Amino acid sequence: MLEVLGGYTPLITSFLVLFAIYLIMALSLNLEYGYSGIPNFGHVFFMSVGAYVAGNLTAREIYKLSRSTADFCSGQGASLRTSYASQHPALAVALFILSLLVGALVGGIFGYLGSYPGLRLKEDFLAITLIFIGEIGRIIARNERGIACGLTGLTGIPNPFCWVDNVNLRSVLYTIVVLLMAAVIFIYVQRLTQSPFGRLLKAMRDNDLAAMVLGKEVPRARGIVMVIGSALAAVAGVLRTFYIQGVVADDFIPLITFIVLSMVILGGVANNLGVLVGTLVMTSIDHFLSPSFLSIIGFKVEFDITYMKYIITGVIMILVLMFRPEGVFPEKPVKTPLLDLTKLKKWDVEEKLELS
Amino acid sequence: MDLSVPLMNSLTLGCMYTMMALGLTMSYSVTKISNFAHAELVTLGGYITALGVNYWGLGLPTSLALSFVGSGLLAILMDELVYKPLIKRGSRPLFLLVASIGVGLVVRYLIFIYADLNGIITIQALTKVEVLGKIGRAALTTVHLWVFPISIVSVILLHLMFHHTKPGKALRAMADNEDLARVSGIRIYRLRRFMWIIAGGITGIAGGLWAVYSIVTPETGWMALLRIFAASILGGLTSFWGTIAGGIIIGLAENVGISVMNEYFNVSTAYRPLISFVIIVMVFLFRPSGLAGVDVVGWVKRRLGREE
Repeated sequence: MLEVLGGYTPLITSFLVLFAIYLIMALSLNLEYGYSGIPNFGHVFFMSVGAYVAGNLTAREIYKLSRSTADFCSGQGASLRTSYASQHPALAVALFILSLLVGALVGGIFGYLGSYPGLRLKEDFLAITLIFIGEIGRIIARNERGIACGLTGLTGIPNPFCWVDNVNLRSVLYTIVVLLMAAVIFIYVQRLTQSPFGRLLKAMRDNDLAAMVLGKEVPRARGIVMVIGSALAAVAGVLRTFYIQGVVADDFIPLITFIVLSMVILGGVANNLGVLVGTLVMTSIDHFLSPSFLSIIGFKVEFDITYMKYIITGVIMILVLMFRPEGVFPEKPVKTPLLDLTKLKKWDVEEKLELS
Repeated sequence: MDLSVPLMNSLTLGCMYTMMALGLTMSYSVTKISNFAHAELVTLGGYITALGVNYWGLGLPTSLALSFVGSGLLAILMDELVYKPLIKRGSRPLFLLVASIGVGLVVRYLIFIYADLNGIITIQALTKVEVLGKIGRAALTTVHLWVFPISIVSVILLHLMFHHTKPGKALRAMADNEDLARVSGIRIYRLRRFMWIIAGGITGIAGGLWAVYSIVTPETGWMALLRIFAASILGGLTSFWGTIAGGIIIGLAENVGISVMNEYFNVSTAYRPLISFVIIVMVFLFRPSGLAGVDVVGWVKRRLGREE
């Protein structure tokens, strides 16, 4: 496979990893915003929680095991960690799996805390509050050296496949793992939203009073959704940390949430397949409008091309909201085994035939 | 400890935040949009003033007037192109918020491109700054001579407009109940445009003053937006005097408050923005009406035994 891809391997793997991470983010935001009507615009904060957990867990464990004397936050300490991990393959993989589990758990706990405002506020007030809570988290993280080494960020977090010598093979292996994770999460979210719980979420979004009158525990469902959504976002954060092999607090700005939001809006609110397409489109824009890619194809502009990316994101958000608020792929009725609509139509037809 | 310097800074910043927040409060109370693109009105105002003074050879008053016009026009443009069609389609407030985020992204990065092409990613209006006198250790400069009178005059003018002119009274009626205002014969869309000019304009002037006081970058507005929201929310989002109190309180909290905490509790000054965010979250969770409804005048009158 490596021969086929040849020199394009880094280009393709980086695109796929970015796509998979964005997909997990978009799916979890869709679960909260699309299915449940909770505008969690502080989504990037829950991603950052996963990133900090993964970074600290991995870096500190290796730091302890390697009995390193170099400063924890320095570049020297970082390179020592990477080289130590590349000699201990089992440790690197074990720390990756452990980070995923602990990251999801801690993300879920933060999601539970986030449901405190989530239960008391609604609509735009909740959105503003969560954006600000996310910013509070970022400012604390960039000023406390204990969380992610302050402004410089925590580096030297070894990739789980850092013991593979061939760089291309290493990134291909990691890409496969990340894509698999994204696929599993996609199936999980799809199953969850097609279940009775998913129907409850939609009922709650459309009319929470009616859902409560029918005896559904709406606050509990809102809490559960925020826990699940945040845990998934944290998983995305963990995967991102191991990919870029570092955590910098200032990466987790609200702009990331807005880009993920544009994916959800473009693809289709409360339609996972639509979100997949939306993510693909937006990731392509994100990835192929970067200076590094444009320099490969020899295209040059006078200004920083990343600005164009954000303008396109903004334009897409506005246009979709104005002309197709339900997204390119609108929401579909929930598939239930008992009430398959296509079968229902057939019966109707047969009944009518018999009658006539 | 000497608090004169942080006190001076808080008053200056508080005045500017107040003006910006008044624009947000006006547009929120009339249209019910949590307008995230409000940040860009600040940035545009700042850039116009800085460009006017540095490159176009205009005086500061003319440049500030241009900022008023520029930001006001941008506000109208946003409303006509995006918000009004969305509202006519019956969009929920949350959709309008998302749309305003989109509008903000477009305008901010267009400014980024313009600034990048002309090499003015950071710019400051180059005015002569003279120290006029000293209060404690704080210097009173010509910058303050611009900021204080302009903000006080605009607050007074706004107050007069809201209470003594026809469009002002109509605006208050519209903020209260749009349908009722409409059946009373108020032309709501014309009034809306008028409101956007005033709200955008006052925000633009505040941005222009910011360019005199400090440097402007395309992200200045976005950085200030969180404080603007904090001031406006603290004031209850729809209250005129509440917003003014909110702006001053945010200014004080971010300068005097952080200095005191730095001195006595050893809190790093890097946590400055945290104060306003915590204020927003707390106000939303525990007193959504903010300072609005706190009857200070009545309380003072009762105290003095002059109850009406």
